[in-house]
Amino acid sequence: MKKFVSLLTAGALALSLVGCSDSDEKASSSKSGSDEKVTLDFWVFGSTGYQKLIDEYQNDHPNVKIKLNEGEMNDMHNNLFTSISAGSGAPDIAMIEVSQMEKFKEASERFYNLNEYGAGDYEKNFLDWKWQQGQNVDGSFQMGFPTDIGPTALFYRKDVLDSAGLPTESEDLSAKLNTWEDFYDMAKTVKEKTGKPMSDSPELVFNALRDQQSEHYFNEKDELIIEESVKDAYDYTAKMIQEGLVGKNSLWTPEWGSAMAEGSYAMMPGAPAWMMGVVKGNAPEAGGKWSLTNIPEGAGNWGGSFLTVPKESKHPEEAVEFIAWLTSPESQLKSFNDMGLFPSTPDVYENEDFLATTDEYFSGQPTAKIFAEAAKSVKPVYMGKNYAIVNTEILTALTNVATKKADPEKEWTKAVERIEKQIGRQ
Amino acid sequence: MPDVNSEKAPLNKKPFSTKRSFSEKKKEALAGYLYISPFFILFAIFGLFPILFSFYLGFHRWNGFGEMEYVGFKNFSLILSDPLFWKSLSNTIIMWILGTLPQLLIGIILAYALNATIIKFKSIFRVSVFMPYVTSTVAVAIVFGIMFNDQPFGLFNIIIGWFGVDPINWSTSDWGLKIAISTMVFWRWVGYNTIIYLAGLQAIPGELYEAATIDGATTRQKIQYITIPMLKPIIILTVFTSTIGALQLFTEPLIMVGRTYREEGLTVVLYLYREAFNNMAFGTASATAIILFLIIIVLSSINVFIANRIGK
Repeated sequence: MKKFVSLLTAGALALSLVGCSDSDEKASSSKSGSDEKVTLDFWVFGSTGYQKLIDEYQNDHPNVKIKLNEGEMNDMHNNLFTSISAGSGAPDIAMIEVSQMEKFKEASERFYNLNEYGAGDYEKNFLDWKWQQGQNVDGSFQMGFPTDIGPTALFYRKDVLDSAGLPTESEDLSAKLNTWEDFYDMAKTVKEKTGKPMSDSPELVFNALRDQQSEHYFNEKDELIIEESVKDAYDYTAKMIQEGLVGKNSLWTPEWGSAMAEGSYAMMPGAPAWMMGVVKGNAPEAGGKWSLTNIPEGAGNWGGSFLTVPKESKHPEEAVEFIAWLTSPESQLKSFNDMGLFPSTPDVYENEDFLATTDEYFSGQPTAKIFAEAAKSVKPVYMGKNYAIVNTEILTALTNVATKKADPEKEWTKAVERIEKQIGRQ
Repeated sequence: MPDVNSEKAPLNKKPFSTKRSFSEKKKEALAGYLYISPFFILFAIFGLFPILFSFYLGFHRWNGFGEMEYVGFKNFSLILSDPLFWKSLSNTIIMWILGTLPQLLIGIILAYALNATIIKFKSIFRVSVFMPYVTSTVAVAIVFGIMFNDQPFGLFNIIIGWFGVDPINWSTSDWGLKIAISTMVFWRWVGYNTIIYLAGLQAIPGELYEAATIDGATTRQKIQYITIPMLKPIIILTVFTSTIGALQLFTEPLIMVGRTYREEGLTVVLYLYREAFNNMAFGTASATAIILFLIIIVLSSINVFIANRIGK
């Protein structure tokens, strides 16, 4: 039965993927000699600007042709999941976002172990924590090469702080914001003087605090440890919400976007490098009003991806050679200059040109330098495949505290119940 | 391939050789089956197989990658003992009532108006009534999402403000979210039902009304004794399709509550989707699909029962 099932699934997939399968034929039809022509299917999501780098690589390697397939992030992961699950239709190289990595690690036997293709030689290029996220717990299986990362900083509105009588320069503000206690006190001042909340979304405040912990929701044995690890962060956020110091907007909603333009709050703690583009997109007129500085008590990381080689690829060697080149410090610096992807290779952080990058929109702050400092201080964290479930439920609890004036303790208990119920089913 | 002679042969030999003509018939039948086979092959792959596979999965535990493990009826008891499933079912039924009933009632009224002789520019009205159905659900959901903005300056919050009601946090309020989703469903489907009713109304022979007029029937009597009974099959059709459609409500709530999966707007299909693609529990997701299938059968049977009594 099972064989029949997988055969049928494979058949269905083959039918639906007819459009993208011609590369396999080309690749296999010329399989002789060392200069064999190789075509690599490459699935990515988001704005990577990788085509430029691919052109460059193809010029130096005339026998390699890389077919870039760009899509929306969820679609790409769903397509990859389906093809891996069915055992047919996966590309030679697939980009996987960090939040999805653990899920795909469950199927690690469907991916090449990059250690067997010399991944160890490249380890020194990358940030330790980022490299570790791409492997299994004991490091024997390297599933992906790191691409960009999302180190976080604190974005703030100069105009709001000014009307609250607070310092607006990055260094002066940073000096006054050493602890979360300071953050709370400053929030009180902002509320008193301007009537505005310190921050808009409960999620960003909670994330910023959570990301400073060395363990988040699960330990490496996949046991739920939220009571010990993030309950304090939850309590802190809930208290801020109850005192009106944190607003109630959810991320990515239209009202969240328009609040950025209006300056209806003072700060966005825990905003990653790629959030700069989001702010600019939502508030094109607010250039010079935004600035950024360090988060009290240390930075976190939000987002970033890995490049993996599914087992279906017939050319793992060429694929690994290419992704090693694409994630090298030189290539990552190009991606940063081109599309703002923040490099995961600390070598780049010493580069003079890189460090000199400033952003007029963010009041001329040396953005690359600030995020590079943040990236170095990120703690490696084991996420676990059920990270998204826990995250969603805690966020629901915080939203209920914010919008329904619910009791934080009761909401926490209910969230824990929901989490345990969902995890218990797998 | 048959040779040339064999094609002519049956004509002459027919009275004597029934065997020969039988095999000819067989060939013809085979050709016929071949012509219609693409549908059945595609249906078997994309329709029948997923249905059977879903039944198979309902009794297994599977995360999409690894080995399947037979668990018997455990998935069903997990689902049926989950308060969230019952919440999603009650949500679905409430939204069905909120969205579908007014949709059918107003659909009939609109169809009656569009069918009336006094209205000018009928085709323009007909097209505009049908417009929402053609619009992409995702686009509709996004536009409605903006109108049901949580802030006091959101369109619907301004409107209820005129009546002295405080702004509602639509995205988290239990009734607010259901009303928002039902409004969207209503807006999108009312035109579709109107057009079906209109077709039904136009099929009623004008002589019946003329005869009734001569007999001195009032408008109310004409509606009660001619229109409604003659429209009965159409009403049954629309009740059926919108019941099944409403029980499978998915896109609108997904866009409204998508990332958060908040229980206030969770429908059964969204619950199923969350199980499968968020929680990687394909077994319980399939069990949910089977339970929903049974619920649809039960509700459809109740519909048949009630429909048979209309106009009796």
